[in-house]
Amino acid sequence: MELKLLIPLRNLTRNRRRTLLSLAIIALGTAMIYAVRGYVDESMLSIRQGTVRQFGNLQIASPLLWAEKTENFGYLISPEDVARIVALLQEIPEVTAHTVQLNLSGLAITERKTKVVRATALEPQNQALDYNDLVVEGSGLNPDDRAKVLIGRALSEELQLQPGDFFSLTTTTVDGAYNVGPLQVAGIYALNNAVVEGQLVFMPLGYGQILLDTSGVAKVIVTLRSIDDTDRIAQIVQRKLTEAGLEFEVRTWVQLAEFYRQIKGFFDVLFGFLTIAVSVLVFFIVLQVLTLSFLERTREVGTIRAIGTKRYQVFLMFFMESVFLGVLGGLLGIAGGWLIGQGFNALGIGWTPPGAIEPVPVRLRLELGNALGPFLVGVFATLLSALYPAAHSARLNVVEALASK
Amino acid sequence: MILQTENLTKVYRVGKEEVPALRGVNFALDTGEFVVINGPSGSGKTTFLNLIACIDKPTSGEVYIEGQPTSQLSEGQLAELRKRKIGLVFQTFNLIPVLSAYENAEYPLILLGVGRKERYRRTMALLEEVGLKELAHRRPDELSGGQRQRVAIARALVTNPRLVLADEPTANLDSETGKQVMAIMRRLNEEHRVAFLVVTHDPVVTQYAQRTVKIRDGQLFDGSAKNGA
Repeated sequence: MELKLLIPLRNLTRNRRRTLLSLAIIALGTAMIYAVRGYVDESMLSIRQGTVRQFGNLQIASPLLWAEKTENFGYLISPEDVARIVALLQEIPEVTAHTVQLNLSGLAITERKTKVVRATALEPQNQALDYNDLVVEGSGLNPDDRAKVLIGRALSEELQLQPGDFFSLTTTTVDGAYNVGPLQVAGIYALNNAVVEGQLVFMPLGYGQILLDTSGVAKVIVTLRSIDDTDRIAQIVQRKLTEAGLEFEVRTWVQLAEFYRQIKGFFDVLFGFLTIAVSVLVFFIVLQVLTLSFLERTREVGTIRAIGTKRYQVFLMFFMESVFLGVLGGLLGIAGGWLIGQGFNALGIGWTPPGAIEPVPVRLRLELGNALGPFLVGVFATLLSALYPAAHSARLNVVEALASK
Repeated sequence: MILQTENLTKVYRVGKEEVPALRGVNFALDTGEFVVINGPSGSGKTTFLNLIACIDKPTSGEVYIEGQPTSQLSEGQLAELRKRKIGLVFQTFNLIPVLSAYENAEYPLILLGVGRKERYRRTMALLEEVGLKELAHRRPDELSGGQRQRVAIARALVTNPRLVLADEPTANLDSETGKQVMAIMRRLNEEHRVAFLVVTHDPVVTQYAQRTVKIRDGQLFDGSAKNGA
């Protein structure tokens, strides 16, 4: 034990400046990875929460809708099937709420302008997916509202519509007939996404069904107690649907949100690249420092080998030195990264992502849970850099080592 | 007999040239003997010592430690043999700078897996014998040359080896300190009945020897050496 602990620990105090340099490099690398990990995790959490708020945890719909074969409205779910699906969902304790939606598109017409819009017809103030909390001006939709609508901030600016104003929405019924209905702007919502705000409007389900001339809905939306339950409950719901002979398919929010998958992939690549780059940097700098440090002890290696220390024991002595160095550097890096992150969060720096309207705060999510990875990267890079010099020292010829200056 | 060499030869290759360092040396050392091998620089003293310390391999010939031939032993077996049977004292002391005098002397016992209490007992006893008990906590850079060499002697003897090999143990000491160190080695040789083989170019050291053997051009002369030349 003394060989593995005492001598390696003492050796770290031998050349304090060099040890501090190694620790600083390892700590800096670890802190960088930790800080970026914190940014990625915070961003992904924010995006995940936003995505689930937009899609719910699960959506149940006809395979035709998922295959985008929507021309003849064959995908609509009848009120009887909705009732059966709801009965199945009520058997699952993890399901916290459910609602239905109907989607349509049409032409919004004001006195001055027309604009193609997409409409989501929903049950106002439902417990699962209600967009009233996005309203920044006017009021949200109420259950007894009929011809009222929520429009996005960007659309309100484009069509110069304010709460209380009217416009017409022309659309085509499920039978292909032309239909038009007047809509009053109840409120204006903000989603910090120019594309969505400029295209998407929300209206009561009943009015959407009138415009399409149908009693059906497009999908059933389900929210769950925990986002982590999503995949498991999706499988349970799908099994229940199949057993009940209902030919509908479940999609999770991850499957529905292509944007989420793309950005997650982007962040994974970015983080992977950064981790590799920092690891390589730490590896080569620490390799250089350790090689120099181990070479200076050549005669010592000759001495301890001559008095009976075996090669593997010499290797372990040097390797353990890098273990202490890596662990200490890694811990310092996590502590440093955390402090930098707190300072960064306190500054409240913001930036405007592509497609967003307002700047969002850049925050770093620095917890113990996401510290382990960066810590292990720091330690692993250090251990890797010690392998060659430690093995080289262990293989030294005793006579030549003793003769070295 | 603790040590015997049989027709020991060592040839170094320098470029395309072969340089013989030892030429068929036959030598024997009895248990408890104190022998000095004396010769000028380049005569093959250190080469001879390295071979019998089992840290170098002969070109031909054999080294026997307590009758056991060593040429066929593996690296690990040789390390084991050195650890258990041979103590080494170096010209430049070769202490580990980050360890105290006590820890340096204790080190071979750690290699042997001796328990902490027993290590303490044996190490402190040896440090007392070499007159360094009070300085046990000091690191090598806080000790004089003579004190360092005494720590090295304690380290060499702490495992109760059968043989102690010393390479120019007084070369880096002033003459008075050198005499003190030699006197300590001679006393320990008598008290512990451990064989000492000292190689040196310093003729003064020979006065401590029971037997002196001269070495020149890789060959041993006079004393009771059975030289093959």
